[in-house]
This record gives sequence, C-alpha cells and structure tokens, in this order.
Amino acid sequence: MNVIFQSTYYTLYQAANERCFYVDFGQKMVRMSLCQLLALRHKVMSIDIEHHFDSDLNAHGFEVLMLCNKEHLFVLNTLEILDLKKLVHHSFVSLGLSVETAEFSIS
Amino acid sequence: MKDIARQSMSIKVESMDLLNGQIKMEAHASATYLAMASWCEQNGFFTSAKFFFKQAEEERGHMMKIFNFLVDTGGNPISPEVTGINHDYSSIVDVFESTLEHEVKVTKSIHNIVKKAREIGDFATERFLDWFVMEQVEEENTIRDILDMIEVTGTEGVGLQMIDNKILDWID
Repeated sequence: MNVIFQSTYYTLYQAANERCFYVDFGQKMVRMSLCQLLALRHKVMSIDIEHHFDSDLNAHGFEVLMLCNKEHLFVLNTLEILDLKKLVHHSFVSLGLSVETAEFSIS
Repeated sequence: MKDIARQSMSIKVESMDLLNGQIKMEAHASATYLAMASWCEQNGFFTSAKFFFKQAEEERGHMMKIFNFLVDTGGNPISPEVTGINHDYSSIVDVFESTLEHEVKVTKSIHNIVKKAREIGDFATERFLDWFVMEQVEEENTIRDILDMIEVTGTEGVGLQMIDNKILDWID
C-alpha cells in the first residue's frame, strides 16, 4: 500500500491491487472505494468548525460521523475534525483530483 | 503507481462542488416556479400558471442533466435540500420580474463555474456547460420579451387578461 497523505492522527493509503483506499483512523483501519472517499470528503467538509466554538450550536464540541453506508461510526472532537479536514483536503490534491492550494470548504 | 483516483473520476472535485451547488440552485428554481404557478392559479392567471408549471419541469430537467453528468464522470452528486420558497407576490408583474432576477442569478452562477473550470483546466466540465450558457441566453430572453409585452399591453382594464392570454405564445 502506498501512503497518499499523512496528517497528525490519520493516514490515507492507496491499495492498487485492490483498487481501493484505506484510511487509518488510529483505532481502526477503514477500507473505502473512491465513491466512499468522496462521501467522506463531503461529510467532513460540510462540518462548520465555527459551531464548535458556539455552545448553542454545538454544546459538547463533538461530531458523529457515519461512514461507508453506516458501517462505521466515529465520535470525533474539534482537533480530530480539523485534522480530518486537513487529511481530506491534502489527499485530494495528492490524488490529482483537486488543484486547490488554499483550504476549501463546501457551502 | 496506479492512478486509481483518476481512473475512477474524470473531473476535479472543485468542479464537482460547484456543480452540486448548481444542482441545488436548479432545484430551488424549479420549486420557485412551482410556487409561482400556484400563485397564478389562485389569482386567475391560468395561462401563466401553465407557463410556470412548464418552467418548473424545465428547471428540474436542468438539475437532472447536471446530476447525470456527475454520475457519468464518477463524481458524488448530492440530492439537494430545498427550503425558503417565496409564495408571496404583489402582482403578475412582480412574478415575472422575480423570474428574470432568478434567471440572471442562474446565468451568473453558470458563468462562474465555466470560469473556474477553465482556470483549473477541467475541459470536460467547461464543454458540458456550453449547453447551459446558451440555454440561459434563451431563458433570459423569454422573460425579457414577456416583460416587454406586459409594458406594451399595460395592466389597466382588460390589460391583465390580455397579458395572461398572450403568455400562451411562450408555452410552445
């Protein structure tokens, strides 16, 4: 497996022989197709991190992420979400599917 | 190293995000035209209502065209949430003026995606949007012609009835 991008907590690998990707979440390795990786990107980039600093909008500073058609569930804190955003952003640039150099967010 | 990502997807994610935004905009336009059709029906403008029912279908057609493009290119099309549809209009003139404003917004949005696709070298998206650029010219022109007709006809006396009857010219 080849490392596509490594952030502080997470690593994205490409498994060429299986034609898929693996995300190492620390406690768990998750196998993903590109479609599932795109769905992860959409979910992660749709999170408004500013809500984590407003107790009315996000009282506990956690996000619940369900991935791969609800096969995996993660509860992530603010730092982990920021790191996951970084992983997703840089991974798509490394994969050649994104040309953005600045941080990108989905409205 | 095999390029699995490129083999699975043939457009850039920046274009995909903008096209998903456009899907939402087209869905919003379709719902807005449905609200206008409802207003026209309730206020006795039955031909105009038919016109807006047809426009609502057309906008949904545009949405599906983009949705299918994202499917074909291996992207991740998102089914849009549509909220905040205005159902209140002060007159039939207000309805058509709002329509033109809406079409101009859609045109600007399409042009923005074309510009971005060109900047990032996403030729497939740029070429795909050629049809939308020309479609918007036609859409804006139709509404401008209707507003011109309303101005010439006037809204006094039987003017409103004449306006509604004349809308038939733009339905076929």
